[in-house]
Amino acid sequence: MLSIKIGRFAYLAANWAVLIFLLLPIAIIFVFALNPTPYIEFPPVGVSLKWFDKFFASSQFMSALLLSLEVAALTTVAATVLGASAALGIARGNVPGSRAITAIMLSPLMLPAILTGLALFQTYVLMDVGRPLWGLVVGHCLVTVPYVVRTTLAVLHNFDLRLEEAARNLGASPQRTFFEITLPLIKPGVIAGGIFAFIVSFDQFPVSLFLVSPGQETLPITLFNYLKYDLDGTIGAASVVSILLAALVVIGLDRTVGLRSYVKL
Amino acid sequence: MSARIELSAVSKSYDGGARAVDAIDMTIEPGEFFSLLGPSGCGKTTTLRMIAGFETPTDGVIRVGGADITRVPAHKRDMGMVFQNYALFPHRTVRENVAFGLRMRGMARAAIARKVDEALAMVALTGFEDRRPGQLSGGQQQRVALARAIVIQPRVLLCDEPLGALDKKLRQSMQFELKQLQKTLGVTLVFVTHDQEEALAMSDRIAVLNGGKVEQVGTPVEIYDRPATRFVADFIGDTNLFRGEIVPAGAGVALKVSPELVLPLPAAPAASGLVSVALRPEKVRLAAGTDANAITPGTVESANFQGGHVLYRVALPGNRHLLVQSRNDGSGAPLPAGAPVSLSWAPADLVILKD
Repeated sequence: MLSIKIGRFAYLAANWAVLIFLLLPIAIIFVFALNPTPYIEFPPVGVSLKWFDKFFASSQFMSALLLSLEVAALTTVAATVLGASAALGIARGNVPGSRAITAIMLSPLMLPAILTGLALFQTYVLMDVGRPLWGLVVGHCLVTVPYVVRTTLAVLHNFDLRLEEAARNLGASPQRTFFEITLPLIKPGVIAGGIFAFIVSFDQFPVSLFLVSPGQETLPITLFNYLKYDLDGTIGAASVVSILLAALVVIGLDRTVGLRSYVKL
Repeated sequence: MSARIELSAVSKSYDGGARAVDAIDMTIEPGEFFSLLGPSGCGKTTTLRMIAGFETPTDGVIRVGGADITRVPAHKRDMGMVFQNYALFPHRTVRENVAFGLRMRGMARAAIARKVDEALAMVALTGFEDRRPGQLSGGQQQRVALARAIVIQPRVLLCDEPLGALDKKLRQSMQFELKQLQKTLGVTLVFVTHDQEEALAMSDRIAVLNGGKVEQVGTPVEIYDRPATRFVADFIGDTNLFRGEIVPAGAGVALKVSPELVLPLPAAPAASGLVSVALRPEKVRLAAGTDANAITPGTVESANFQGGHVLYRVALPGNRHLLVQSRNDGSGAPLPAGAPVSLSWAPADLVILKD
């Protein structure tokens, strides 16, 4: 009896330790953002919103935040469509070498992202296209599509093909079968991939580093540049805002498009 | 509204390999309950899937109601199908599942609602409209699958081992219901099963398949009493198989199984030389003691009391054995092992088989 209790306590303690380890940096960011002193101080000396004021008043930060949201939104849509289509092709297309194709699709995850950024930068230079917004979105897609492919393949793997046959048998054309049966059933995997894509794009640093044009930088790049010369609570405030924004988008996607909108068999 | 299905020389092979279905010819009459029966891998499911349009035959022609549908896509075939694990749409309610086929046909909402209610009433599922498949028992899911298939009033209803996942008792009651429903609707029903009892109980006719070929097509009684081949005799029910040489015996012929065992045959078979014959255990009359008029004497080796009847294993001369099913007529305990018995049967019950 006692040993069970001790085991249970140890188990809970280990869980809490991991949780604290994961969340502590975020807690420190919050303390940093709310502390009136321009440096990290512990214990905090007070609570103030002055760094948030400074962040929201800065046109540089605001345009960076908007650009980041724009790029993340475009990337999420493009990566979700591309990744889900690729996964469907791999799983259903009966294509030769689908294993090799899967490996290639997932390879950007294995390459250091900074190399991906550098390679893209050189490609754009060679193509002489400058540093357009779409170039940045393409770069972000490169590192986010693998997430969508992975999560979509996972749900397709467990998909019962007889459901599609049943729909066909009842008179649904292949297109209707896809939109009425396949898509709703693989949606949880696709949405999960889309959420990954949004988060990875929104706080993407290494790929963006080479692809943003001066004066038109995403939030992570702007924060990095700011950090090089100033270190004050604005960084903390910006971090808090981006954490909350990301959380908001995830919750919003979950609520509107729905991750739990179907009951599992 | 029911249609004739004709398969002419239909074959299916995968990637140029062995033929899963090998030149099958078959005609299924309108309104018939037709079973495809065979062990796994015999080609019965592949045949059904070709009729449904999920597989394209490598060779041959499939006609429904006289029209060639070999290359018609599945969604334009107007057939209902009940799948092995029901294949209900998990993200849709019972009502939406049943309504699906009607919606695909562009029917008006009010008409759909009425037809769905009718179909659900027919399978006794009124009140379950708003449940999802995951919240139903196996038997209820089965009924939803059935309602979904019949609500579109198909010309043909295809069933792929639809009762396989149900427990025995439920399966029996569903067998009756399905048969009843099929007769009420008058729909042509093609039923795939590996369960011979189920096929015998439900079908108007049965096609026994083996290795992608049709072994025999016939009514349940024909299949059981007059099996055409050794495979059919062995696959359906318990049977005694003997193999021997045709020899003349008096005015007729007999089968010489061994020097000690010669069985009279009803008629000379077309084949000469070695032939196989089948004898059902319940066609054999077993009497205690010896009887000069019996076909052969024997010795009880074991008796297996099964309630309504006793299954004897009897040793015959020449080191052969015979299964005998003897009705429990209330005369007391089964004969003990070692008891001498005499065995007889009508020579016509000895069925000559093709190999």
